Order: sequence, then structure tokens, then C-alpha cells
Amino acid sequence: MGEIVLKNVTKKFGSNTVIQNLNLTIKDGSFTVLVGPSGCGKTTLLRMIAGIGPQTSGTVCIDGKDISEVAPGDRGVAMVFQNYAIYPTMSVYENIEFGLKNNHIPKDKRRKLVDDACEKVGLQELKDRQPNALSGGQRQRVALARAIVKQPSVFLMDEPLSNLDAKLRVQMRVELIELHHKLKTTFVYVTHDQIEAMSMADTIVLMNEGKIMQMDSPRKLYRDPDNLFAARFIGSPAMNIRRFGNEEYVLGFRPEKGIISTQEPQGCYRTSGTVVAKEDLGSEIHYSVRDMYDDVSVIRSEEDDITVGEKVWIGAKPENIYLFGNDQLRIREDDPRYPDLCRQVLALQ
Amino acid sequence: MYKVRKRIGSVISVILKLIVSFIFIFPFLWMLSVSLQSDAETQSMSLTLIPKVLQFQNYVNAWHSAPFPLYIRNSLLIIVGIVVLQMLIMVPAAYAFAKMEFKGKNILFGIILIAFMMPIQIRFIPIYFMMSDWNLIDTLWSQIIPHMTDAFGIFLLRQYFMQVPDELIEAAKLDKSTDLQIMWKIMLPMSRPGVASVILLSFVGHWNDYFWPLVMTNSDAVRPITIGVARLKATEGSLFWNTIMAGNMFLVIPVLIIYFFMARNIIKSFTYTGIK
Ligand SMILES: Nc1ncnc2c1ncn2[C@@H]1O[C@H](COP(=O)(O)OP(=O)(O)OP(=O)(O)O)[C@@H](O)[C@H]1O
Ligand SMILES: [Mg+2]
Repeated sequence: MGEIVLKNVTKKFGSNTVIQNLNLTIKDGSFTVLVGPSGCGKTTLLRMIAGIGPQTSGTVCIDGKDISEVAPGDRGVAMVFQNYAIYPTMSVYENIEFGLKNNHIPKDKRRKLVDDACEKVGLQELKDRQPNALSGGQRQRVALARAIVKQPSVFLMDEPLSNLDAKLRVQMRVELIELHHKLKTTFVYVTHDQIEAMSMADTIVLMNEGKIMQMDSPRKLYRDPDNLFAARFIGSPAMNIRRFGNEEYVLGFRPEKGIISTQEPQGCYRTSGTVVAKEDLGSEIHYSVRDMYDDVSVIRSEEDDITVGEKVWIGAKPENIYLFGNDQLRIREDDPRYPDLCRQVLALQ
Repeated sequence: MYKVRKRIGSVISVILKLIVSFIFIFPFLWMLSVSLQSDAETQSMSLTLIPKVLQFQNYVNAWHSAPFPLYIRNSLLIIVGIVVLQMLIMVPAAYAFAKMEFKGKNILFGIILIAFMMPIQIRFIPIYFMMSDWNLIDTLWSQIIPHMTDAFGIFLLRQYFMQVPDELIEAAKLDKSTDLQIMWKIMLPMSRPGVASVILLSFVGHWNDYFWPLVMTNSDAVRPITIGVARLKATEGSLFWNTIMAGNMFLVIPVLIIYFFMARNIIKSFTYTGIK
């Protein structure tokens, strides 16, 4: 219970159209992550689902029911806000209890539900604290507990981990994945951190300027991007690209699929340049090579003796190369232009 | 060098603060002093600041020279009536002006601010006729109803409410709160210093009000303490300043008590707003 369908949804702020004619189906029980650059409309989308920033036109349905006219408190959704929005004059316990009280749940049942929620997020010891005496991570947990306790059919989370330090963030990431397994309800999770998106989602919705660029599993999105934006946004360092064929086409390959060598590689797209940086991260080495067009990144997992300033060849096998047309869309193997473009790429110098 | 300059600066600032405090406190201290002096001390040509014997009898005299229990009761009824009604009306009004979108909001608020700038002396004649039409002249109601709302109070509460982040209200809506609950459970507790100031200003203003009850009342039965104190002058034929000042202390003491009670609340400010 918790399938969300948005049909032809448009959102305007005054005359500024932020989202236009968006269609989106979020499967029941999925962990769907909305990613995209800042200002692309992720928060706006969540707020429409929650009902606190209603759409200008179009319909939002949960479980097949149009909820456009349903009050936020009656939609069966809970939201964790980008900045927590904890009631500052209520204790942790009262914060979590507030929603239950408003739903007229009897006192002893309330206590049990609050205790359970506190236990799930590890807040048992802090129930009587005031919010101003909590750390960022603890406030985060209060916000989560406040959502959990309502047992909603849809969880909406707006960058809930963005204010935590790296270590706590990794820990909370795992906890949220576990929580999703335990609760088995729909999670809609907003982030602009692609590592978070890749590691938590079963479906990623990639947005840009209010439009959905691609919606797929993390693996598919990474391996098989539909367009240049998706190819460049997912993956770090970003996919290497180069224009060719009178600037009409774009080729791309991922840094970890790149070949770096002092010998000219055969049967590959290839280019030559000078190593400008070599970063040894322990488990892998990142090279930056400057050829005549641009900087190219290559990731190697084994140690080798290439040094900064050395002249090297960079290559990518045809099966690791992505082609894009002038319209930024992917040209796949079944496209009639594909064989010819492939030949062109291999002939490039 | 810098340290010395900073030192001199802070000494000067303390001296200035003392002077200002003295200007404000002196009349009160003098009043207190006079209220405890003997008749001879008040009437002598030399200025007495500290009475030789504290003559508490002045307070007893003042208390008996007018029906003070009645006046104080009336004053309390009027004040409580005003403050309660003001809260019931001004809090929702301020909430609406701070956090809701509706047609004509700015125009309405402008009208309220204009009303705020108009002195009571301009408004009292139409209000008098209104009260007279409703047969409320010479009752407590005619001293309460006209003060049911106060433009400055709405303005001040609105300022406080505007500082409550929208996300908190939205979170509360997702928690199924009604606007009424949002107001009483979230906005008011977060705006406690503002609410305390509004109540305090309203209390002091109306407790000390002389003009309005003078216009609206004819009989002792409904008159507040300000009128009573003013009447001390009329009853004491040959100006016994010590009795008059003792009467004035009846007027001032409740304000002081309320002030000390509320000051803690006003000073206590909330630094955490629920965001981050
Ligand atoms: N209340 C508002 N009034 C006017 N414009 C708004 C309002 N809220 C958002 N916008 C605009 O809508 C666009 C999308 O905003 P939104 O908050 O959804 O972005 P986001 O994807 O959540 O970004 P971020 O990752 O920075 O949180 C932005 O261009 C923003 O300026
Ligand atoms: Mg956002």
C-alpha cells in the first residue's frame, strides 16, 4: 500500500514554471531516490506528494486514489524535512508523540508506539531531552522517529543525511536501508549525493530542470544511461566525453574502463597526452591526462610506474564506449548510425 | 593602550547607564519616600529624602479614604477581561497575517496599522456613542470591549510568528494539527517572549488608564483604581501628599509585581528554532 502516481503534474511559482507535465510512477514498497542538481525540483516534487506545496495542475494519486483534495495529515505520508523541523518547545518524546495525539490514539498505545520508534533509531536515552540539547545527528533521529511512529504508507525524506559528518552518514545510510527492509513501505528519498543514491535506491529518478532524465535501477543507470546528462551525472569522476564528427556526436567512456599505457593500444578508441596528476587513494589510483582537447580521467586499481609529466596513451575498448547524438540522446547498438560511428571513433586520433 | 581605552569605554558606559536609570527610578523613589513621611516632613520647606520615622499609617489612611477594595476588584476584572479577550482575538489575527495567504491581506493589515497610529482621543466619541447605544455606559463592559484588540499587539505578535519557520507549520500539518493546535501548541510557546511583552504592555497600559474610565463611568461601583487614586486629591481637602502618594503606591505595586514575574519570561529567549 503506497504506490504513488503523478499524472501531468505542473508546478508554478508565480510565472516561474518549475515542473511541467511530469509523469511518474513510484512503485509500492520501493526505495526510490530522487537525484539531480540543486534547484531541479526535488523538494518541490516531495512537497506535492505530501500536500504541503500542492501542484498547479495535474493529479497526484496514492494507491490509485486521487489525493489532490486530501489534507496533508490524511494522506498517510510522513516527511523528514531537509532541515528536520523539530518542534523546539517540545521534548523529544513530545515531538514524536505529537502526531499520534492529533490522531486521538489512546495514551498507553501512544507510549508503546513512541518507545518502539525511539528504539528503532536509538533514542531511548534521550526521550526527555529538549531539542536544543541535541546534536545534529540526534535531531536527525528525532525527525526520523517522528516519521516512523506514524506508520505511514509512504515515507518522504528530503536530504535527511546532508548535515551529518561522513562517518555518521555512512552509518545512517545502512540504518535507513535496514529500516526499509523492516517496514517494507514506500520510501521516496531526495539527495544530490549520487553515492547515497547508488547505494540506497532500488530505483533512481534522475531529474534536471524539473524533467525526469532517466528512471532506472542504479546499475542500469550507471551501465546504460539514456542520455548525456545521465551519463555525466552518475559516476565520479564523471564520464570522459569528446565531441567528434564535426562536433555533431559525442563519445564517452568511464574512467574505470579507460586504458592507460605507454604503448599505443590497438583496436580501441585512443588519444595521447601528458599525465598532469596522479592521486593514489590506496585502493585505486586516479590519473588525469591532458590531451589536445581536454582532461581525461582514468582509474586503475593496480600500482604501475607511470609518473606525472610522462607522455601516455589513453584508450577505451569499443564495448565500453557510449555514443550520443546532437540531441544528447544515446545512440545504442541497434541504431542504424551505430556501425558507422563506431568505425569513425576507432579511426580518431 | 587598547586595554586602557576599552576600560575607559566601559566605565563611561556604566556611568551613562547609572544616570539613565537614576532619571527613571528617582521619581519612584521619591514617591515611595513621600508616602512614608510624616505630615510635617511633607509640608516643610526643606526637601526630605529619607523620612525619620516610617509612617505606615499613611497607607491605612489612604485605604480608608476611598473604597479601594472595590476599585481594585474593578481594575482586576477590567484588566483580566481585556487581556483574555485580546489574546483570543489577537493571536489568531497575528497568525493569519503572519502565515496565511488570503486576498486583501496587505490592505487589511495596512488598515490595522493606520488605526494604531490614531490616538484614542480621536476615536473615543464614536465609541462612546456606540457604547451608549448598547446601554453599556457606566458598566465594566464599556471599559473592556473597546480594548478587545490592539493594533500594536497584533503587529508585535505577527513579528514573532513570522520568525517561526514554515517547515514547522508544514510538519505540524503532516502531523494532522489544525490551525488552532498549530497556534497554541507551536506558535505561542515559541513566541513566549513576544506574548509576555504584549500582555505586559497591555496590563500596564490599561491598569494606568485614566482617560477612558473617566469618560465611560459615572459611579464608584464600576470605577477602577486610577480614578480612586485621583479622587484622593479631591477628598483630602488640603493636599496631604503623603496619603496621596500612599494611594499611588496601590496603583504601582501590582505593576511592579507583574513586571518582576514577567521579566524572566521576556528575557528568556529561544535560540533553537527547530531548524538544523
Ligand atoms: N516558494 C518558492 N517560490 C518560488 N520559487 C521557488 C519556491 N520554492 C522553490 N522554488 C524554485 O523552484 C526550483 C526548484 O526548487 P527545489 O527546492 O524543488 O529544488 P531542489 O531540487 O530541492 O534543490 P536542492 O537540492 O538545492 O534542495 C528552484 O529553482 C527554486 O528557486
Ligand atoms: Mg531541496
